[in-house]
Amino acid sequence: MLQVLAIGLISAGIYALFAVGIVLVYRGTKVLTFAGGEVGTAALYVAAFLVTDHGMPWVVGALAAVLIAAAAGLAFEAGLVRWSREADPVVTSILTVALSATIFATEFNLHGNNPTTLETPVRIGSGLDVDGVIVSPIQIAAIVVAALLGFGLQSFLRRTDFGLAILAAADDAPATLLVGVRVSRIRLVLWASSFGLAAVAALLVEPTVGFITPGYASTLYLGGLAAAVIGGLDSLPGAVVGATVLGLAQAFADKYFKGLGLSGLSYVVTLTLLLVVLLVRSYAPEIRKRLAAPVEVTA
Amino acid sequence: MTTLQLVEVTAGFGAVTVLHGIDLDVKDGEIAGVFGLNGAGKSVTMKTIAGIVPARSGQIWFDGVDITRLDAESRVEMGMGHVPQGRQVFANLTVEENLRLGAYTLRRRDKSRYPAVLDSVYDRFPVLRERRTQKAGTMSGGQQASLAVARALVNEPRLILVDEPSAGLSPKMQGDLREVLQVVKDSGVTMVLVEQNVAFGLSLVDTANLLQTGVVVHTAPVAELDEDTLATHLGIGRVLAGATGSALTARKKR
Amino acid sequence: MTAVTLPLNKSLRLQVPLLLPGLVVAIFLPVLAQQTSLLNEPHALTLTGGCVLAIAGLSLNVLLGYAGQISLGQYAFVGVGAFTTGLVTGVTDLRLPWVVGLVASAVAGGLIALLVGLPALLLRGLYLAVVTISVAFAASESLFRVDRIGGGSAGKVVPPPYFGTHALNTSVDALTIGLVVLVLLLQMDVNLVRSRLGRAFRVLKEDETVASSFGVDVARYKLTAFALAGGIAGLAGCIDGTAFGTIQGQSFDYSHALALLVVVVIGGLGSRTGIVIAAFLTTVYPPVLVAVFGDGIRGWDQTINGIVLMLTVAFQPRGFAGAFRDAAEHRRMRQGGEPPLPPTRPNLPDLGRPKGMPEPRRTKGDTAVLEARDISVRFGGLQAVDGASLRVDRGTISALMGPNGAGKTTMFNAISGALSPDTGTVRFLGEDVSSLPPHARAARGMGRTFQLIGLAKDQSVYENLLIAQHLAAPYGVLSALTTVGSRRWEREVRQRADQTLEGLGFGRFRDTPVGRLSHGQQRIVEIGSCLVTSPELVMLDEPSAGMSPAAAEDLAATLIDIRDQLGRTVLLIEHNVPLVLGTADELYVMDAGQVIANGEPLDVVQRPEVVRAYLGEVVA
Repeated sequence: MLQVLAIGLISAGIYALFAVGIVLVYRGTKVLTFAGGEVGTAALYVAAFLVTDHGMPWVVGALAAVLIAAAAGLAFEAGLVRWSREADPVVTSILTVALSATIFATEFNLHGNNPTTLETPVRIGSGLDVDGVIVSPIQIAAIVVAALLGFGLQSFLRRTDFGLAILAAADDAPATLLVGVRVSRIRLVLWASSFGLAAVAALLVEPTVGFITPGYASTLYLGGLAAAVIGGLDSLPGAVVGATVLGLAQAFADKYFKGLGLSGLSYVVTLTLLLVVLLVRSYAPEIRKRLAAPVEVTA
Repeated sequence: MTTLQLVEVTAGFGAVTVLHGIDLDVKDGEIAGVFGLNGAGKSVTMKTIAGIVPARSGQIWFDGVDITRLDAESRVEMGMGHVPQGRQVFANLTVEENLRLGAYTLRRRDKSRYPAVLDSVYDRFPVLRERRTQKAGTMSGGQQASLAVARALVNEPRLILVDEPSAGLSPKMQGDLREVLQVVKDSGVTMVLVEQNVAFGLSLVDTANLLQTGVVVHTAPVAELDEDTLATHLGIGRVLAGATGSALTARKKR
Repeated sequence: MTAVTLPLNKSLRLQVPLLLPGLVVAIFLPVLAQQTSLLNEPHALTLTGGCVLAIAGLSLNVLLGYAGQISLGQYAFVGVGAFTTGLVTGVTDLRLPWVVGLVASAVAGGLIALLVGLPALLLRGLYLAVVTISVAFAASESLFRVDRIGGGSAGKVVPPPYFGTHALNTSVDALTIGLVVLVLLLQMDVNLVRSRLGRAFRVLKEDETVASSFGVDVARYKLTAFALAGGIAGLAGCIDGTAFGTIQGQSFDYSHALALLVVVVIGGLGSRTGIVIAAFLTTVYPPVLVAVFGDGIRGWDQTINGIVLMLTVAFQPRGFAGAFRDAAEHRRMRQGGEPPLPPTRPNLPDLGRPKGMPEPRRTKGDTAVLEARDISVRFGGLQAVDGASLRVDRGTISALMGPNGAGKTTMFNAISGALSPDTGTVRFLGEDVSSLPPHARAARGMGRTFQLIGLAKDQSVYENLLIAQHLAAPYGVLSALTTVGSRRWEREVRQRADQTLEGLGFGRFRDTPVGRLSHGQQRIVEIGSCLVTSPELVMLDEPSAGMSPAAAEDLAATLIDIRDQLGRTVLLIEHNVPLVLGTADELYVMDAGQVIANGEPLDVVQRPEVVRAYLGEVVA
């Protein structure tokens, strides 16, 4: 039982890190980012280039990776998204799919399918022993960072003027403009932080997997997408909760349905959970109406 | 002195031109009303002044500066405040958070002034002080209207644009709203008020600008308006104008 | 609103008869090319890959381009088709003939897509995107890896088809088969686009509310789009399996889904020609690149595709088909300039009820055409309509007035079925229609227009007049795809559209997208499309909005024509007081969700409560 919990939480931490970045952009722009996984993978290649190939310290490589990812976010917003002929969130979301495809192909062309390694400061295999499952410090860090971001970022958003402006811009961009907030600048910051966060997530995931191949963060990123959707897409704590639910569900399914011999079980779990949550949620207003619960007050 | 001046402004969306050369003069400290029926271009006029809909030709002057090509945010920084149509308070934020965002450019300029300004706004709208931790979306329509006005005032604007404030409010709430706008009027801020509810608008403004199909067809101090003028220039026909006429009489008596 | 707003191409359609010459080319060209040594086996295999991609592109085009349903996992259905073919024809499995495998691949693709489509009834846009991506991952990582289906690490073997005793096992044979299927599907696509099914997809994509007001059963057509697209993708899979002989699970992973997106978006959503060209180009150019620049460039085509996809989505979202169309339009504009305005006073013909639609119920003399009783609608904390009732008698014009937010449009929506009220009943020609969906009410003779113009704005005037007759041509999906049994219906529908077009005086604007017309002109087209099925009741939501006073006068004359010449009943929401006074027999005034007055218009507008509601009260 503890084992399952530990394994579930490790995945949850990874998903949550990605989900937070997804929700951040969604909150501010209603765009769903499909590119975070590949942005993260590419950031790892940057880190590996500096650390593994050129012998720099891990911290330097990691920092460079995060900064370059953030810069890529800025460039993506300022260079493409802003000038798009259709300012529609769905179209911009497809644009991120295209970005992800481009990065993937480029990684593949530069490195092929051979695994690249990134030397990490923490030795793999050491760490907390939870009922036979070794939870490494970096995995704990991933969980902690994810939880901190999920709940801490929420309070940052509430406390600072800039954070409030982000929340307001998501609710009502025209009205936000009318209090003098430069909404376009907010968008820049959101894309930069989302891509930066994807890099952070990938850096924290890497030691768990142990090597990098093109597209490797994308399969984990699907979990992040699902977690964000399960959490309601516009709630940061919701994303963390969604990630936890997804991680645990996968861990439990792995333990109890392993006998079926079905490969890719985690994907089936993700799909099932997504469908159940989405369908229940879209029926929920109907059910609530039937139960004649007190009517919500809308703005 | 003129606070805001529109000279031959045209604007529209895509192939549609809505404003066909609007002229408008708003003097220091006055409340200028813009009235017209549905589709006359009231809302687009406001959005063009705000900088959300770009002017296609003509000029907009604010405090002696040509702002025709400035973006909406810069206009707010220059001292333009907004009470948008449908109030548009940030429903998921608390009253205090709404006000803090309202003072966004003030706080960037000089954060230390904010507590005093906030205090004076709270003094003018005590109900907001009581409810400062309440989510804006859960307040009544009248309270939201107060918040929307307060959110504009807290940035210490020199000009406030109020877009259809009475729409969707019950007569009782309209009464409350009128008091709120009276507070703004008494504070001496220049205001542009757009209203479809002509009677409501006439009870507040100093000058009335009557708008028909994207052109200001008549401008006059309220004291010089009569039923016939309203009927002709708003295009509502004599039958309905009678009611507005009685609003005028009522106001002149006061 | 429907989720996907990538714009659609309508031009660049193959205008020539396609089927026979296409089949001749498909059957003889590969063999001929092989005989003359222009085509070798590896080339043929590459081109067959192009066929597969083109067919898969047509599949995604039906779903995303026509019906506007986003799917990022469409390639999974190609896999479903491939493995189904393997299961049906394989020597260790059912060992059925290849043709059965072909049919089974389409059926399996269609059925599974139907399942995936079910959540799409409730989900839109990005939610659907995430679900379909998850489907793609679950299929390639799990379903296709089940040994029984995917054949384990060796893959699934698909035996070649036999022509008599002759095995069609060369790549040139596979190319021939691929081309034949592609040509057949292209013809089917042409038929689809011109049928009621294609029209229903297009309007569904633009606006679901408008679609249902035209009588399109939104849920059914969404599922049809998923199933049809799934079936086509399944066929692509069958060709893929046949060409390569062995199928592996990883041939259908996410990166292939992206390749499919490249083809459809760059080719141009909605443009079958663009998509087919893009499919073959993206298949053929990588080997050419390698031949020219050497082996170092291998794989970089994917990067190039990605970049081109980004640039296309951002700056030319209609793909290269769209770019051609823009250029053509630009030329036309420069030559001819804006077309002249049509007359605004239409002369509408009485077309009678279409054959495909039931005659309106016969009722006794004093039965109201419409009777809505005690309608209440609540949105969250807002009581939008509060116990409102109204009655409309045959052959009259009734008007509904009231200030903004009084609940007029909500009342309209409750009557037409666009929303279901919390309380109250709606009787139409004496029949209780309260529980019927909008399309069923439309079928009974209720026609309506919308405040913001309920037309498919990207479609031409003529298209809209056809879409409006959705219920008048009740033929099925198979007829739509093959034109068998649809021709006589289409003839009637097109004839009625032509007559209406002429009556409106809009002949010149036949092929102009409605969105290009002025607001007033759109109004007239909308009224025309409402009348084209000769409904008993015509409901108009603010018809004079955005019209000049002169145009509003013409509109008044048109309304009177509709009543007196065509003998229809009219209910309109209107702000223009002179228009109402000049046309209406009965006036209802709403305020704060309630009907506060009704009766003879000139009398009603002078009542103090009406004046107060409309111009506001003096707040002392």
